[in-house]
Amino acid sequence: MSDFRHRAFSFSRMTAIAGNTFTGLTRLKIFYVLLLFALLLIGSSVFLARMTFQQEFQVLKDIALGAMSIFTSLLAVIATARLLPQDIEDRTAYTVLAKPVSRFEYLAGKLLGVLLLLALSLLAMSALFFAVLLLREQSVLNETARQMAAAPVEQSADALRLVRASAFNVNLFSGIAVIYAKGCLLAALTLFISTFATSTIFTTIVMAFVYFIGHLQPIAREYWMQTNSAGMFTKTFLALVALIFPDLQLFNLTDDVVAGNAIPPVLLLKTIAMGLFYCSFYLALAWTVFYRKEL
Amino acid sequence: MTDLPRRSEAKAGTAVALTGITKVFPIPFQRRSVVAVRDLNLEVAAGQIYGLLGPNGSGKSTTLKIILGLVPATRGQAKIFGRDSDQVASRESVGFLPESPYFYKFLTGEETLRFYGKLCGLRGAALKDRVEEMLALVGLTSARKRRLAGYSKGMLQRIGLAQALIQEPALLVLDEPTAGVDPAGAREIRDLILKLKSRGVTVLLSSHLLGQVQEICDRVGILANGVLVREGALNELLGVENQTQFILENARPDLLEAIGDLAARSGARVIERGRPCASLEQLFLEATEAQDRNADE
Repeated sequence: MSDFRHRAFSFSRMTAIAGNTFTGLTRLKIFYVLLLFALLLIGSSVFLARMTFQQEFQVLKDIALGAMSIFTSLLAVIATARLLPQDIEDRTAYTVLAKPVSRFEYLAGKLLGVLLLLALSLLAMSALFFAVLLLREQSVLNETARQMAAAPVEQSADALRLVRASAFNVNLFSGIAVIYAKGCLLAALTLFISTFATSTIFTTIVMAFVYFIGHLQPIAREYWMQTNSAGMFTKTFLALVALIFPDLQLFNLTDDVVAGNAIPPVLLLKTIAMGLFYCSFYLALAWTVFYRKEL
Repeated sequence: MTDLPRRSEAKAGTAVALTGITKVFPIPFQRRSVVAVRDLNLEVAAGQIYGLLGPNGSGKSTTLKIILGLVPATRGQAKIFGRDSDQVASRESVGFLPESPYFYKFLTGEETLRFYGKLCGLRGAALKDRVEEMLALVGLTSARKRRLAGYSKGMLQRIGLAQALIQEPALLVLDEPTAGVDPAGAREIRDLILKLKSRGVTVLLSSHLLGQVQEICDRVGILANGVLVREGALNELLGVENQTQFILENARPDLLEAIGDLAARSGARVIERGRPCASLEQLFLEATEAQDRNADE
């Protein structure tokens, strides 16, 4: 027998499972189809109808961040939903869990593999988005410089500064970070549902409902609070609903980013912390179900 | 397949001990339940090959899953080398090959072994060497870069055996190890099991192929409806106490006649006399091997 002492939790076992999950997902055709679709969408914004440059940059950001958000959410659900049911159906889970691997390491490894995939695909989309933005910015700057050739230097510099300010700002990174946090949350929640779901389709359908409820529940909650007296029972009930169905509207900061509004650092940190909390919470829930699951 | 490359570390004592194991599966949305295994007591001594037999649905696979901690027992205790089998650490010394396994089809044979090796704590040069050894052992060195999606059933079974042996386990649990494998492949697996035994590895297997079990197992247990109905050493269970068999080569008819007379005079009775038949498996292997040789020439 190999000479090693068993540890209750091993980071290397978890990363081995994460690496394997990541490899499996990147070798799936569906991943490339989705990624290609998202990249085409972002890339096509280069051919936007010529409007004022402010409008053009705004639409470009809107399309790109929207595509990133939808693709990341979709990939988080689709990639995660199939992991456990397929492993159990194919009995690969038996061979993995018959090794000295704890069920927590198995689950955390699977989730980590998906999060890695989300990070990589978001990185690819961001790179293309920034390239398109830079291309358009350069083109608008050249055009503006040509038009302002006869204008006083100060006026010309102001115009160019305005173009640069409309194109790129650091808030875009905040927007992308929030999209990733939302993707992580959805992946963890999908993993939790798949621990008791009987099929991939069931998990995907449940997640579609959760997605819409997650976006609608803050509106419903506000309405409820306005029309009913907010007693202790109501507050507890609403808190419970918020825990089970995450408030996905909290992650909807891209509108502000597109409009050029700055996201306060406190709000950004709070949103990312919320994403991490939900992610850990759902992973813990998944483990409690999976711990005694009969394979 | 090549020879075993390294000597496994043998363990002494009891490899598997099941005490009062009962497994009840409740039927969802009904008040009824199914008892898969009932009050099972079983011991597998280290270094033995133990065969668990029984018809479909007799509780063999459930018993193996309980031993591996994949399914919790409703009652009773399962131990592997003295450690509770629901402890993850107990699986350090266990290799498992499930029935008709589907490994990750997107991985190549080599990647598969690397993955399972990492799960067992192997790293760097030790992992690399072990992967090489296992690929050579199961005769898949030339198919190492091929994805498992392109492997035949026999090749999948062999890579499954290699992953089960990757950390040199002291106990090997095999669920129908030769299911779907051709006779030549089945013989290779059987020879490998015997080699492992000679190196001190305990093997616990379940099988429907009674002939193969009889050839290699030291002890067997027969399960029926979740109950262990017979258990013991194979020669004790199958031996007929008042009968003796001997097979002669090149015996002349007068010698056979004399033996018959001698037996009759001493009060013994000759029950059967005839030519022993070669097994169908032997015939198959000889025929296919001869054909292979002709094709090579």
